[in-house]
Amino acid sequence: MPLDASQDQSDDALLAAYAEGDLRAARVLTLRLTPRVLAFATRMLRDAAEAEDVTQESLLRLWRMAPQWTPGKAKVTTWVFRVAANLCTDRLRRSGRSVNLDAVEEPVDEAKGAEAALIDGDRADALRAALQALPERQRQAVVLRHLEGLSNPEIAEVMDIGTEAVESLTARAKRSLAAMLAGRREELGYDDA
Amino acid sequence: MTMPDKNNSSDGFLEEFFQAERARTPQPSGHLMARILADAEAEAALRQLVPVAVARRPGLLATLLDGIGGWPSAAGLATAAVAGFWIGFVAPDVVTGLGGQSSGAEEYGYLLSDLLPGYGDLALEEG
Repeated sequence: MPLDASQDQSDDALLAAYAEGDLRAARVLTLRLTPRVLAFATRMLRDAAEAEDVTQESLLRLWRMAPQWTPGKAKVTTWVFRVAANLCTDRLRRSGRSVNLDAVEEPVDEAKGAEAALIDGDRADALRAALQALPERQRQAVVLRHLEGLSNPEIAEVMDIGTEAVESLTARAKRSLAAMLAGRREELGYDDA
Repeated sequence: MTMPDKNNSSDGFLEEFFQAERARTPQPSGHLMARILADAEAEAALRQLVPVAVARRPGLLATLLDGIGGWPSAAGLATAAVAGFWIGFVAPDVVTGLGGQSSGAEEYGYLLSDLLPGYGDLALEEG
C-alpha cells in the first residue's frame, strides 16, 4: 500500500493492514496515535517519563491485539485511550498520587499553585495545577472532553461508565476548575462574569 | 437530576484556559516514536515466525488486565518482545524465573534461539 493511500485510510483499515504485516500502516498509526496518547498520559500523570512509558505500553498492546481486532465494532482511538487510562490509574494508585474518587475539596497546596501560576499570567500552567487538584476520575473526564476532544459516548467507553456519569463528572470538574482559577481573573483582564 | 452547567461566562472563562493548554500540547520525541514503531515491527516479526500462536493470544480483557507486573528487563526491545511473547504463551508464571535465574534463562534460551538465530548473542548482552 503506497504511503499516500495509507495516510487516507481509517484507523480500522490501517490496523487490519498492520495485522497482515504492513509496516507502513503501523507507521501511519504510530504518527496518528502517539501524540494523542502522550498528551493524555502527560495530563494525567504530569511526569514525562511515566507518560512516555504508558504511551509505549498502550501502543504495544495495540500491536499485539491487532490480529483479533474486529473492524467497525469499536474505535481504535477509544480502545487505546482506554488502555492508557487504565495504565495511568494503575500508576497513580501505586505511587499514592490518586486522589480519593469521592473527594470534594481540592488539596490546599495545588490550589495555591494554581493561584501563583495565575499571577504570572500563564493560563496553561494554572490549568495544569488545577487539574492535578481534581479527583482522578473528574480529571480524566474533563481532560478527555476538553483537551483530547473525545465525545461523551467515547469517554463513556474509555471510562467504562454511562454518558450521564460522564456529563456529571465533567460538570463537577469544571465547577471546581472555575472556582480554583477565578481568583485572579480581573488582574489578568478577563471579562467580568 | 442535576442540570448541566449552562453558565456561558464560566464556560467561556474556562475555555481560554483549555485553549492555552491545547496550544502547549506535549509532542512526542523522535525517540519515542522510533521505540513504538520498533515494537510494531517486533510484534509483526513474531507473527511471521509463529503464526499458530496468534490464535492463542490472550483476549482483550486478559490483555488489559495483564502486564501490571511489567516486562522483564532485557537488553533490547526485540529481546523484550520475544521474551514477553514466550512468557505469555508458554508459561505466564515463569516471569520471576526468566529475569534472575540462569537455569530459567538457559531453558528458555534454547527455545528463543531456535526462533531467532541472533537471540543467543542478544542474551549475552543482558546485564
